[in-house]
Amino acid sequence: MNLLQYQPGESFLHKLNPVTKLLAVFLYCVACIISDSIFVELGLIFLMLIICFFAGLGKRALSLTKNLLILGGMMFILQLLFVRTGTPLLKIGSLCIFTTGGVFSALLLSCRIIATMLPMMLLFAITQMTDLCGAMVKRLHIPYRYAFIVTTAFRFVPLFTSEFHDIEDAQKARGVEYDTKNIFKKIGLVVPLVVPLLMSSLKKVDAGAMSAEVRGFNLRTVRSGYRDYPFAAGDGVCIALTVVLIIISALL
Amino acid sequence: MLAFEHVHFEYPETPPIIPDLSFTIGDGDFVALIGSNGAGKSTVSRLANGLLLPTSGKVLLDGADTRTTRTSAIARKVGFLFQNPDRQICQNTVREELAFGLKVQGVPEEEVKARTEEALRDFSLDGDWFPFTRSRGERQRIALASVLICRPKMVILDEPTTGLDYKECIAIMDYITRLNRETGLTVLMVSHDMELVQQYAKRVLVLTNGQLQGDGPVTEIMKDLSILEKAHVRPAQIPALALRFGDRFKDVYTVDEMAAALKAAAKKGGAPA
Repeated sequence: MNLLQYQPGESFLHKLNPVTKLLAVFLYCVACIISDSIFVELGLIFLMLIICFFAGLGKRALSLTKNLLILGGMMFILQLLFVRTGTPLLKIGSLCIFTTGGVFSALLLSCRIIATMLPMMLLFAITQMTDLCGAMVKRLHIPYRYAFIVTTAFRFVPLFTSEFHDIEDAQKARGVEYDTKNIFKKIGLVVPLVVPLLMSSLKKVDAGAMSAEVRGFNLRTVRSGYRDYPFAAGDGVCIALTVVLIIISALL
Repeated sequence: MLAFEHVHFEYPETPPIIPDLSFTIGDGDFVALIGSNGAGKSTVSRLANGLLLPTSGKVLLDGADTRTTRTSAIARKVGFLFQNPDRQICQNTVREELAFGLKVQGVPEEEVKARTEEALRDFSLDGDWFPFTRSRGERQRIALASVLICRPKMVILDEPTTGLDYKECIAIMDYITRLNRETGLTVLMVSHDMELVQQYAKRVLVLTNGQLQGDGPVTEIMKDLSILEKAHVRPAQIPALALRFGDRFKDVYTVDEMAAALKAAAKKGGAPA
């Protein structure tokens, strides 16, 4: 399943104003970043999962967490090997492999990564790109062309993924050995993948710009959109709650 | 030889694309694979060179199962020309592009040079061209040249002439036909263009919903309008016309043959019945 894909729904999360969602995600991430306690980070992950379950996104959130665990695991190993504070925990001869400080900061960092990434990725599950774009124009008065750039960038991700797979197939069919086990060889084989991808993206961008132009892209203003994105009481409550979260994580 | 043995293929949690497909393609054959959009033509062509692996059943290339053979090893035997040449072109000059496939396969430097120059001549390409800015037809020719330069035993063409003008289309098809006749290159061509199929293929496989609806010599399939209709393709015009004229026109497939048959009928007097 595509991790950035919109998942239609009628939950309280879906109904929030897109701008509120964006701001709430930002504040949630701030809460994750300012906290120095592993327990707070774990609590924030757990809280996000619970919220998702109530919004009918439980499955999605769990599969996301599973994917993020891989990233967290990689960061854990890196931190473990490179942070040298505290007392040595494992020694081979005179060589210290990792220390208490290393374990602590590795755990904290990998939890923090998962805690911050989770709400960001879920933003895509509950927000349609057109809504986000529209709300940014209507409520934040961001010029349409900039809002459009941001949302288009995300819309292109799945397109590029499928293009990438097709190119990989084409190169495999020519005998490029992507099934090689040698990691250095594999890195060298990136060129035949990246060059066609770059070329096709440039062509796509060109064609896209032209078709936007003929559809009057430059004529669009704040009043061109039919839909209005009013704030409701729920939006205020949501922001207030995330601010409370920041205060709690700063105090603990 | 390519053999499909009770091949079943599906993506997880979707209805099967290929329920149960069996056929063989002998060495030196020129086979056209036709069918409507979504019939599974592209899936079959990707199964044939190991880009996709069957969920169950076997795809055998010269007796070797694609599931146990590395794709890079299959690529030495089976060339694949995609509809969109831009997916494979990745080098700065045409010369480097042609040499790339050979280098990947570990062909010695001198032979690479000799074969590259030969291919440049054969396909009337300029080695110093920047490939990305050439016309669509030239890019397709570059892509075909870089596939055939590896001298595969078999080549799969996935709608090779889409977006090409008639002259470019004929140039590519004539070259492939010559290789087929002279070196025994096996060809599997996916196409919607029945005129092209009739002109070049020897045998036709008709695919609908992942199942083989028809399999026979091109002359036979061209006259079977009900099968062509099922495959959502427009019949080649001359054979379809000949069919209307009845028995006397049963061996008519080309414009020349039609002209001759019409003249003969006119001499005998009366329009063809």
